[in-house]
Amino acid sequence: MRKSRQFLTAAVLTAALSTLGLAACGSDDSASSTGTPTPAPSVTAVAATLTIKDPWVKAAGAGAMTAAFGVLVNDTDADITVAAAESPASPMELHEMTMKDGKMVMQPKEGGFVIKAKGTHELSPGGDHLMLMKPAKAIEAGDEVSFTLKLGDGSTVPFTAIAKPFAGAGESYDPGMTMGSAAP
Amino acid sequence: MPRRAGAVVTRLLAALAVLVAVLVPGSPAWAHAQLVAADPAKEATLTAAPASVTLRFSERLNPDYTTIVVSDAARQPVPAAAPTIDGASATITIGQTLGNGAYLVAYRVVSADGHTVQGSYPFTLADPAHPAAALSAAAPVAAAPPDSSGGGTGPLISLIAAGLLLAAAIFWYARKRRPPPR
Amino acid sequence: MTSPLSRRGLLAGLGAAAVTAAATPAAAAPAAAGVAPVALATAGAAVAPAETGIGAATVPFHGPRQAGIAEDPPAHAAFVAFTLAAGTDKRALGRMLRLLTDDAARLTQGIPALGDTDATLAALPARLTVTFGFGPGLYRAAGLTSPVAELPAFRIDRLLPRWSGGDLLLQICADDPLTVAHTQRMMIKDARPFGSVRWVQQGFRRSPGVQAPEHTQRNVLGQLDGTANPRGPEIDPAVWNPDGSSTLVVRRVRAEIEKWDMLSVSDKENAVGRRLASGAPLSGQSERDEPNFTALDDTGLPAMPDFSHVTRAHVTDPTLKILRRPYNYDGAPDASGRPDAGLIFAAYQRDITRQYVPIQRRLAEKDLLNEWITPIGSAVFAIPPGCAENGWIGEQVLS
Repeated sequence: MRKSRQFLTAAVLTAALSTLGLAACGSDDSASSTGTPTPAPSVTAVAATLTIKDPWVKAAGAGAMTAAFGVLVNDTDADITVAAAESPASPMELHEMTMKDGKMVMQPKEGGFVIKAKGTHELSPGGDHLMLMKPAKAIEAGDEVSFTLKLGDGSTVPFTAIAKPFAGAGESYDPGMTMGSAAP
Repeated sequence: MPRRAGAVVTRLLAALAVLVAVLVPGSPAWAHAQLVAADPAKEATLTAAPASVTLRFSERLNPDYTTIVVSDAARQPVPAAAPTIDGASATITIGQTLGNGAYLVAYRVVSADGHTVQGSYPFTLADPAHPAAALSAAAPVAAAPPDSSGGGTGPLISLIAAGLLLAAAIFWYARKRRPPPR
Repeated sequence: MTSPLSRRGLLAGLGAAAVTAAATPAAAAPAAAGVAPVALATAGAAVAPAETGIGAATVPFHGPRQAGIAEDPPAHAAFVAFTLAAGTDKRALGRMLRLLTDDAARLTQGIPALGDTDATLAALPARLTVTFGFGPGLYRAAGLTSPVAELPAFRIDRLLPRWSGGDLLLQICADDPLTVAHTQRMMIKDARPFGSVRWVQQGFRRSPGVQAPEHTQRNVLGQLDGTANPRGPEIDPAVWNPDGSSTLVVRRVRAEIEKWDMLSVSDKENAVGRRLASGAPLSGQSERDEPNFTALDDTGLPAMPDFSHVTRAHVTDPTLKILRRPYNYDGAPDASGRPDAGLIFAAYQRDITRQYVPIQRRLAEKDLLNEWITPIGSAVFAIPPGCAENGWIGEQVLS
């Protein structure tokens, strides 16, 4: 068992490495997404820059704020800035959690998320996240939601996240925040 | 007078207890089904071939768990129908006319408490109207060793005797205590 | 928003291999093949377990057949049955199964589930498997014909609703109870929008390393349990349909242990049909001897009592055998110390009606062991085929 697992691990490592390049070329079949128009994840548009690993979105009712998470992986030798996020599902903002009056609250992240060269940046409940300000429809558990990250250099990274029921890392919303301010 | 009767009963019960303790090694065998009567009888010599074998036990039988086998002297089972159960009795009908010779009846039944009781006993058929069965004369049935789970007859008879004794003692004691009729 | 996207789509950026390699930051890649343990570090939930062979061992999740059936059963199991919420239709079932498949694919490989609030607990999979079963109610909800039907009533049954039925089953097995607990919790959380927990049955076998795997294990009644199982090449024709599907019967069988205690060893052996110590049939010398039902003892009685469990359960045709994968249970005793113990009887076979039901009919009709065992729960499930890395369990049924 152990031996075969090690073999599996090795094989998987190899496969993962080879697919890094592949996926970065945008050949990912998320392009086949139907139901919602995905903002042109065309093969040529995306340079080998940033990937998002293990993306997921918290299921929520229509109009209820929710967020998407994952791990941003910068495989390049230069820092990358995620300046904005978009989704056909909802207007979006980049948020961070911060202490305010002894309480964790969320607020828009000034200047976006910066992912260091060869670094990773985790988006997680209770931490930085991609906020869906007002989903037009309910995002139900198991739904797959399309997103596009806009980078500082103007390029885009499309991805799809599965919706999960999630209760945890209780986030409290900053009452001072203007809801829907980013609505188009 | 009542005091004396009480003392007698006490002594009787004590004796009974010893008897039971001696007869019943370890396990609570007295709670299990016991063979109380058999037809053909144990070690009987018959002069006519039996058409059936009936065994009566000390408690009701579960038809699912009752097995009776008759074997001839060569240890070949004699064809017979599955046992029919009537309360505490089980009967098998023998499917052929037996020839003269030695036979062994073996049974395996289950008590109400799930204890398996099995045992066996021999009988002999010597019908003067028939010649001896081919094999039987040469190979008499060796008495099977009494099964540890309670097939032996000695303890059984003693137990019945002890039971009767106990019943008698209780009956007597109860009579003594009853107020005289007016 | 809901699209029939493949799993590859979910893992934007990494592609298919990410399912198992999701935890592999590029920087970890140099770890030499053959030395590297499972790379577990999802960024932010990085864990470097001091693993042993047992804790780190994995069973592949993906493949044409589901895992958790033909492998040696791990030491611990949770059988979790759900009742689908009203309105959970075919589309919702697809969403649910994509989610649960994703959880199972990750957790079985030692990778935290998405949104895993206790990611560190995923680090030691300990041969974790998650096997999905679909009850008749799931097919009804999807508007499909169920390949399995509830069992007929048996006269020995004393079934309680709290241990019976179920629309969806997750059989979660691992060599470690904490791994099972974490997986159970994570997957119940993800199933919550689609249904409620109907029952959970947790059971155990011997711990890994206690006994050589080829040894038959004992149940709480002290009997060797599973001697007659199909082995090796016998498993295929008994268990698997050509499409990789199978079926499962789960019965909760209470053991009347304190009644059983009253018996002598020979009484117990007569009830089972095997020697208690060796497992040898009463007609033979060693455990694997085929029982000889025509053998007679000294007095002419069948050596194998005709009412013994083995006599009644015996199957000769290899394609009609069932694969028993039972777990013991032992709950808290009552105030007087009477145990709440027994067997979570789990049997896999191609066809319940052809294979399981005739055996159970014979046992219900006559089996001395019935005096000490009572079926108190019963459920049947179809086992859909396994799935590829970009698929999900149930896609053949629900797509």
